[in-house]
Amino acid sequence: MLYRRIFQFLLIYLLALGLLFLFKYSLNLSDYVIPGPDEVWRTATLVFNRYLFDGLNTLYVAIVGHLLAIILATLVAIIGRQANLAGSLIKTAAYNLQAYPIVAVAPVIFILLGDGLVSRLLIAALICYFPLLLSFIGILTEPVTDIEHFYVTTGRMRWQLEVKIRAFENTAKLATVIAGSATLAMVGTIVAEFIGADAGIGYSLRIALYQSNIAKVLVALFLIGIFNSLYLTCLEFIGYLVQKKLKISPGEIR
Amino acid sequence: MIHHLLRPFFLPAVSLFILLSLAGCGPAPDSSGTPLVYRLKWLYNMSVVGDLYTLEHSFFAQEGLEVDIRPGGPERDAIKELEIGRAHFGVASADQVIRAVAKGSPVVVLAQLFQANPLQWIHRAGQNLQTPADLKNRVIGITYGGNDESIMRALLAKHRIREDKVEFFSVRYDYTPFYQGKVDLWPVYQNAEGLIISEKLAQAGEEADFFNPNEFGIRFVANSIITTEQMVREHPETVSKFTRAILRGWRQSLDPANADRAVATVQRFDRDTSVSLLSKQLDATRTLMMPPSGKDFGWIDSHAWKQTAGIMFEQKLIATPVSVDEILLSRVN
Repeated sequence: MLYRRIFQFLLIYLLALGLLFLFKYSLNLSDYVIPGPDEVWRTATLVFNRYLFDGLNTLYVAIVGHLLAIILATLVAIIGRQANLAGSLIKTAAYNLQAYPIVAVAPVIFILLGDGLVSRLLIAALICYFPLLLSFIGILTEPVTDIEHFYVTTGRMRWQLEVKIRAFENTAKLATVIAGSATLAMVGTIVAEFIGADAGIGYSLRIALYQSNIAKVLVALFLIGIFNSLYLTCLEFIGYLVQKKLKISPGEIR
Repeated sequence: MIHHLLRPFFLPAVSLFILLSLAGCGPAPDSSGTPLVYRLKWLYNMSVVGDLYTLEHSFFAQEGLEVDIRPGGPERDAIKELEIGRAHFGVASADQVIRAVAKGSPVVVLAQLFQANPLQWIHRAGQNLQTPADLKNRVIGITYGGNDESIMRALLAKHRIREDKVEFFSVRYDYTPFYQGKVDLWPVYQNAEGLIISEKLAQAGEEADFFNPNEFGIRFVANSIITTEQMVREHPETVSKFTRAILRGWRQSLDPANADRAVATVQRFDRDTSVSLLSKQLDATRTLMMPPSGKDFGWIDSHAWKQTAGIMFEQKLIATPVSVDEILLSRVN
């Protein structure tokens, strides 16, 4: 699984790089606009180690931010699934929050929380939580009539049980959504680092752009792709394990 | 059979076609009435008063040119647009030009706009920041990767102040650390946000002052008007007309006699800044842009360019030394 994903990423990256070089040489552009292969290689040997640790730092924040987003989306979806005033309010607030572009909200977050870890975590979580929320609300509001009917008619239905049944019946969907939102967690973290933090690969990208150093940008993008592939593969594997473990009959749900 | 043979070339050919289309290989100026594109370095503000004045007072038209002035911004780079063919003229800072030339970019400097770099450090007055030695034990804001980092490091090196004697603070758009007093010196464009922050401090009963590296021997060149070697070679007349028009606009906009008109011109493009602040910014801009007596507006200070290139080479921002005389087209001292 990992091998395939890394291979796919490398293929896409090299294709994109090839197109860039094609563009450069067909228009006779200088290394300032698009660096040549030799400069990209030379830059990679110079900054790779530093960027590797920056990338790891970003990955760590992305994972924690992603976890936060999952928790947040789960809580909001549990409350928001109800067709009462509280549920409606929560949903409206959650949707409105997403309507604000994060680049406009980020300065306020940095002013309130500083440019450290907490701000990066929060921005990463805010960027990836919405697709999670939409899917979670969709899943948790959709009754599994066949199973729920029994508990409702016997008077044993509680909200915890309802959530459990609906989550259990949609484990595959949940796993896909969580893995899919991992990319957004990475994007969110990089955006946060780019805008206001002082660590991580997004911060290095920002400095490289300040210096108009496209070779550094290409190296950073390569590492971002690799780390993203790694994280996605891990999540898919965890999802696979969870689904395998949960292959129990619905009657066992308590 | 033929299809089979051609198949491997299909994707690269389509990609090349798309890329070339996206590149917008612009038609040559003068040939089809296509306007010349002039890409600024930053958004519309007082630092581009001369450019806007030239446009608004039809100085381009009087030279027979149609010019489309486009604002710059953080993700805009006039040099790249010149090379790709999306712009014919542009504004770039000296460090951008030197970096580009060091990497083989065929960029040429037509005129130097700022004679003193507007990038200075704002601080609260009465902090005894008279000389570079006074920087010791201070918290100094710098933008890592920005030219303020280069300027500050060059200043410290020139005055033999070890970097561990000061504390650097990574600066962003949020001035709160400066307002809170956590940072002693904050980099600003003195003629733009420098005056805005000064006003805010004044409202809070505090007085601001500026630490200017230019006064201590660091002459790091800021914005200049640029074009490409190809443009100079193939359309010398257009380059000549453009330069004549734009320098005329700058001279007139900075003439105190035209101050009201200059402010009104900028306000048409920058509606968020008050007239009183724009007037102050115009005065500050004039001080930073006027050349020494006996020199024309747009004069290129080759000594400052050489120092800028030297600083960048020492700080390993360029891999090889750059001969600045080759990129300064005219008006060299």
